[in-house]
Amino acid sequence: MAEPARFYFEDVVLHGVLETPAMTVTEAHVALYAGLSHDEPLEPGAVPDILPLCLTVGLGWRVPQPPLAVLAFMGFEWNARAPVRIGDTIHSRSRTAMKRAMREGGVVIEERQVINQRGEVVHDGKFTFLVARRPSA
Amino acid sequence: MTAPARRCFEDIQVGEEYESPGRTVTEADIVLFAGLSGDYNVLHTDAEFMKSSIFGERIAHGLLGLAMQAGLLTRATQAYATLAFVGLRWKFRGPIKIGDTIRLRARVAAKQETDKPDRGLVTLERRVVNQRGEVVQEGETDLLVERRSGR
Repeated sequence: MAEPARFYFEDVVLHGVLETPAMTVTEAHVALYAGLSHDEPLEPGAVPDILPLCLTVGLGWRVPQPPLAVLAFMGFEWNARAPVRIGDTIHSRSRTAMKRAMREGGVVIEERQVINQRGEVVHDGKFTFLVARRPSA
Repeated sequence: MTAPARRCFEDIQVGEEYESPGRTVTEADIVLFAGLSGDYNVLHTDAEFMKSSIFGERIAHGLLGLAMQAGLLTRATQAYATLAFVGLRWKFRGPIKIGDTIRLRARVAAKQETDKPDRGLVTLERRVVNQRGEVVQEGETDLLVERRSGR
């Protein structure tokens, strides 16, 4: 059986940009998220601060590129620039800011923006991943 | 009915510590989070594949742990009069596995007045610990909290 395609450290292009499809954030997303996490929005109609981030991670799997062979999600920084409301349609744009080879795989730093239907950057930040090297044939 | 009092910037003291109850992370939590987020990475969804990984089994999404600790804070202390979430800095230190029980330990690390008299910035240090006392996630969050003096 063929292994599913994966995007390895060697495949990561420095400054490469990826844009995801968009998704409308609904009341159902907020209700499911609140039930699961017990984290509540600050006011009615608002979207809990961590939810857009969670949704854009999933959107990141719907791009025309095989999934990154992540060994570990090491950490991230995240900033809220503007509120996200129920009914907003968000997508994300990411750019590889740094890649550094390590003994086991390599570290990749990705800058990510969450953008709403008006083109406003609502959230942004930086993610650090440990990514696998391509297995030798 | 009156709403429960929310604590303003002036009420919060640097050095205050909070500890939440525990929460056991179940398979159902991980399946629900995969469905909600659309993140079906094998790390979280393929039990057979994960048997041969360094973890030996499926692990929770890192962001599920982040979301759960946000919920645990609401059960650890009286709510702040939060106006906005500003940002966070976060590290994932170790896996959360099915059946692990996590709790939040938080501490007010800093308070800062802002240009606007009606609000101040509160920085919370947060550690997510498991049933063995191991820190699995940690970081800092910045919140804008209402100031009574600016009203």
